[in-house]
Amino acid sequence: MRLWPLRARRFRGPALVASLSARRAVRSGVIWGAAFGVMTGASALSYDKIYATAALREALARAFGANVMTTAIFGPAPALQTVAGFTSFKVSLTLSILGALWGLSTTTAALRGEEDTHRADLLLAGPRDRVAATAQSLAGVAAGLVALGVAVAVVTLAIDATGPPSLTTAQVVGLAAGVVASAGVFAALGTWTSQVAGTRHDAMALGGEILAAAYALRLVADAGMGLHALVWATPLGWVEEIAPLTSPHPLAALPVVVAAGALTGLSLRAVAHRDVGAGLWARDDAPRRARRPLTGPGALSRRLTRATILRWWIGVAIGGGLIGLVAHTAGQTIGGSSVQEIFSRLGASAAGERAVLGIASLLLAVVVSLLGVGQVAAARSEEAFGHLDWLLASPIARTRWLVERLAIAVVAVVGASVLEGLVTWVTATSQGARVGLPTLLEAGANLVPPALTLTGLAALAFGVAPRATASVGYGLIVWSLLVEIVGGIGALTRWLFDTSVFHFMAAAPAESPHLLASAVMTAIGLTSGALGVAAFARRDVHGA
Amino acid sequence: MSAPAVRIEGLSKHYGHVVALEGLDLDIEPGLVLGYLGPNGAGKTTTIRLLLGLIRPTAGRAAIFGRDAWHEPVAAHRRVAYVTSDVGLWPALTGGEVLDLLGHSHGSFDAAFRDELLRAFDLDPTRRVRTYSTGNRQKVLLVAALMTRADLLVLDEPTRGLDPLVDQVFRNYVRQARDRGQTVLLSSHELSEVEALCDEVAIVRAGRLVERRTLTELRHLSALAIEASFAGPAPDVSAVPGVRALSTEGSTLRCQVDGPLAPLLRALVDAGVTRLTSREPSLEELFLAHYDDPTTPAP
Repeated sequence: MRLWPLRARRFRGPALVASLSARRAVRSGVIWGAAFGVMTGASALSYDKIYATAALREALARAFGANVMTTAIFGPAPALQTVAGFTSFKVSLTLSILGALWGLSTTTAALRGEEDTHRADLLLAGPRDRVAATAQSLAGVAAGLVALGVAVAVVTLAIDATGPPSLTTAQVVGLAAGVVASAGVFAALGTWTSQVAGTRHDAMALGGEILAAAYALRLVADAGMGLHALVWATPLGWVEEIAPLTSPHPLAALPVVVAAGALTGLSLRAVAHRDVGAGLWARDDAPRRARRPLTGPGALSRRLTRATILRWWIGVAIGGGLIGLVAHTAGQTIGGSSVQEIFSRLGASAAGERAVLGIASLLLAVVVSLLGVGQVAAARSEEAFGHLDWLLASPIARTRWLVERLAIAVVAVVGASVLEGLVTWVTATSQGARVGLPTLLEAGANLVPPALTLTGLAALAFGVAPRATASVGYGLIVWSLLVEIVGGIGALTRWLFDTSVFHFMAAAPAESPHLLASAVMTAIGLTSGALGVAAFARRDVHGA
Repeated sequence: MSAPAVRIEGLSKHYGHVVALEGLDLDIEPGLVLGYLGPNGAGKTTTIRLLLGLIRPTAGRAAIFGRDAWHEPVAAHRRVAYVTSDVGLWPALTGGEVLDLLGHSHGSFDAAFRDELLRAFDLDPTRRVRTYSTGNRQKVLLVAALMTRADLLVLDEPTRGLDPLVDQVFRNYVRQARDRGQTVLLSSHELSEVEALCDEVAIVRAGRLVERRTLTELRHLSALAIEASFAGPAPDVSAVPGVRALSTEGSTLRCQVDGPLAPLLRALVDAGVTRLTSREPSLEELFLAHYDDPTTPAP
């Protein structure tokens, strides 16, 4: 029998904080890295099968090589006649973004999260100073970064080895380094937002907003608007310029290193000048008279969620607006039967700007789904922090509380979708696109069913296994996105495709919404939500 | 005949192989103030969470004024107010907003009494919860519970973090509540608080109820504490029937005695006692005696 004192031996000495931080970071780094490796290896393997002839590869290159829209959304597509170029196009930007999210999540958990739960107080009450403790936490995150990169490389090479040789070891190591670069710079950003924000939630939200802005800047830089220099103004642009799979450009890693170093240095300075548990940005803690009394759990839920929902709506509007801006120009590059055939693999059976907007709908569906699932995750946080105990000890039915929270999620999703359609129409028509408002509102509404499905499934997880709510909800979104990206230009078995919720969504306005599929998705979402409510009414209330 | 304020029958809660509570039976009559005692992990908070319908019983049932806590929580909670010290409040809300929320959620509250409580507890309701000290957060919860004038107050470690002055204010309002006919279930490690406020005491150990009596009954059943001084060295009275917990320090002797006092008094007089004090044991001594006594049933 293994006793805990034996395990605790690992945590003695000056490296205690680093050990605690590394344990969690390495574990998640290995898991995320392995998933990235599966995605990359599967993509490389699929190339020879799908694009077996030179003619098909040329058609692929014509479809995407100089396509402004796909370059803007998915990143540049050089050398599509090679497996390395193909793999780079399919996975590089996605892995950069997911790696960035890993970096943000890992550092904000290791720094701000430990302060939120007051575990940091216990550690800092020991014989160590705050700067050293923060540096030790970051050393643990660095170990996680190494684990992430190693897992990406090892799993990619292992999967690639099951088929004919395609990617070289140097290319795979370069790809892993690119992922680590993105994760690293955003981990450093998370270190900074952890000093600035007052809670881990706020630190993560601020980091997420900067990531969204970085993506938007990169999109504009790659959108053929003569603003390519902007690529140097965004971390995602730096990683894109490293281009490890096609034309490696190691010097582009310089801004990554400089930015990560600067952010880490600033953060360590900030640690010494702020209170533990407080951010650098002063919060509005002034005494306040109640504007309107909180009359129940519904009013409370609206109060707690409105700022977050508003920020998401603004983000969705900006994203839709940017896509609308480039849709008309990008649509002019789509033509020709072979190119059209390749594009139809992404669901864009139409031509021109409608095809462009149809392809972009996947991205927007992901964003709207994140909003819906995030609302369910927030409900779980209310339970985990013990806030829910106060409401449920009052004469308030559990079902009422959860139904009200889910209703807010539905309103958030529908509002974001309609807003996206409206703003896209405004910007697209401003550039000469000939797409009507009803068409784009319909395309916006088309985002609702998959988002409701994922929100409902997250609610079901909340009812059955509350501690897994966020993992299930966000995991399904990431999985569905990966399946769409890997399968969209490659080949997947039908059953695997069917595991992606987004696979059942039409690429509107490139094609008409699938009314039956939309109805089924909505029904699945509502049924899952109802089952989640029923399960919640029958289970224990669980803390963190 | 009206239903008891609380009726708990064969209540059990298991987490896998871990038994948090086993076969608990407990009635609390309306108007009673019951102290609910036990060491950490004995099952006190589990009992309260089961009573509030926050967790589902593995077996048995709990009811509040005849309403099943799990199956009819809304009806049951209309007559309950709850205070605990180990779960958080919404940090971005002000104390006043929390009071609004919990008051409206309960369905009714006495606004004038709320204002009186705010003054008595010296609480500024315009400040955000995250700026409150631990004690001030606890004050918010006490005001929220008391202002509802609920028929049943369920108080789980209600005074943790409060200074002695505020503790006295709290005790005064609990006494007022009892005088108004409200029922109180008070789980606390502050034995002086329980001693000062409670009509009866229930002691739980390892998930089972091991004692339920009034304080007077407990004292009558328990040993008397004796302290005696002598001109010379203290005698050895260990052979005297009923004497236990004997200790001597120079010319002073301390012990406890069960049953008739006469044999011990005779021995002390024979030894030339110069000063003798006796007193009933404190609740703390009674509580410790229950946990030191190997004959006390445990699962």
